Amino acid sequence: MASRIVTFNLNGRDVEVMVKPLTTLQTVLREHLRLTATKSGCRQGGCGSCTVLVNGEPVLSCLLPVEDVAGQTVVTLEGITPVEGLHPIQQAFFDNYAIQCGYCSPGMIMVIKALLDRNPNPTRQEVMDAIAGNVCRCTGYESILRAAEDAARRLQTV
Amino acid sequence: MAVQEYFLPQSLEQALDLLAEHAPALLVMAGGTIAMPLINEGISMPEKVMGLRRAGLDTVRRENSTLVVGATTTLTQLAHQTDIPMLQEAVRHIGGWQIRNMGTVGGNLFAPPPAGDLAVALLALDATVVLASKQRGQRALPLTEFFTGFMATALAPDELVTALHIPLPRGKMSYIKYGRRHANTPAIVTVAAHVVVEAGKVVDAHLALNAVGPHPIRARRAEQVLRGAPLNAATIAEAAREAAAECEPFTDAIATDWYRRRMTEVFVRRALERIMG
Repeated sequence: MASRIVTFNLNGRDVEVMVKPLTTLQTVLREHLRLTATKSGCRQGGCGSCTVLVNGEPVLSCLLPVEDVAGQTVVTLEGITPVEGLHPIQQAFFDNYAIQCGYCSPGMIMVIKALLDRNPNPTRQEVMDAIAGNVCRCTGYESILRAAEDAARRLQTV
Repeated sequence: MAVQEYFLPQSLEQALDLLAEHAPALLVMAGGTIAMPLINEGISMPEKVMGLRRAGLDTVRRENSTLVVGATTTLTQLAHQTDIPMLQEAVRHIGGWQIRNMGTVGGNLFAPPPAGDLAVALLALDATVVLASKQRGQRALPLTEFFTGFMATALAPDELVTALHIPLPRGKMSYIKYGRRHANTPAIVTVAAHVVVEAGKVVDAHLALNAVGPHPIRARRAEQVLRGAPLNAATIAEAAREAAAECEPFTDAIATDWYRRRMTEVFVRRALERIMG
């Protein structure tokens, strides 16, 4: 079947991609656009490593046909990373040893970004609820929770 | 073979036209949280897929004493746009945040157990499901008649679920999902109870269970025990025993059928004790 052209806003710029039917946003990001911060984990909706924000809401790019986001706004980790240095959430992850292998980090950071956008001063329980759909097999989560709390403090003083 | 066509209808009418033209070869999905994992894994290899995200079926409104919830309302939208505590509690225990942003109310009716933890709340609330087809128009079916077996429903090949009608609850509600973890976990058993007590006696009882049957089920015999009886410890104990006896638990990676049955008794008792207060 013929490919289709899909246009959406990615990290502040309009992009246009040509895709086969049912191509996922994850595939477009990683393979068409070579933006590989968004990870490919389980492709089952179980790990959260492919999380991106669509219109500000965290969703799983592995389960999302790119045609469904036509005309909408997508933000990936690349979109919040400054040209030089790190986003305060990234810096908080770094400083709190919340990254080991790093595979879950982009998804974790995008979910925490979405949380802090809504709730700048979340409780520990609220952070736990927010990242419940993101699996980390290295850190044991404690350092990630600390990083999220640290990030909230940093963002409030920016 | 890869998917040949992906349709993204912009209205219910377009969706029903596409379904009439392509059913039964057309795989229908809304949030994609059930269909896409199977497609990604190569377990499901549909030639044609229809996504309902843009079909305009995601509104929630109140009509007199009924809540009308569009089928593609996301779980997140449902929690924000309704104030029935049982629905909010059910949504809170499904998946993670991302899954709740994608998964839909109508889609949850097709989630095979142990998934389906919203559907079990809808059963306890005595919801009605609205189905539509191009040729035959609309029909409404009590949710109890919608489920016919494991991954089997009364939905005809040319029909779509368009909405759920939820009567505003009159009684006290209790919802407990028991899993191996607190969050983002399949159920060992989920209990949803809606009980109306007047002058110390139960006048109406809806007790629904999930993960202990081929689909979310009503515990009819346990409900019979409750109706007309005073809601006390003895009644609750008997209802819990009946529920455990009548459910049809299965064994999977989460729990054995034996354990699920034991926990059904425990959690039906706890759910009813919460209602008793």
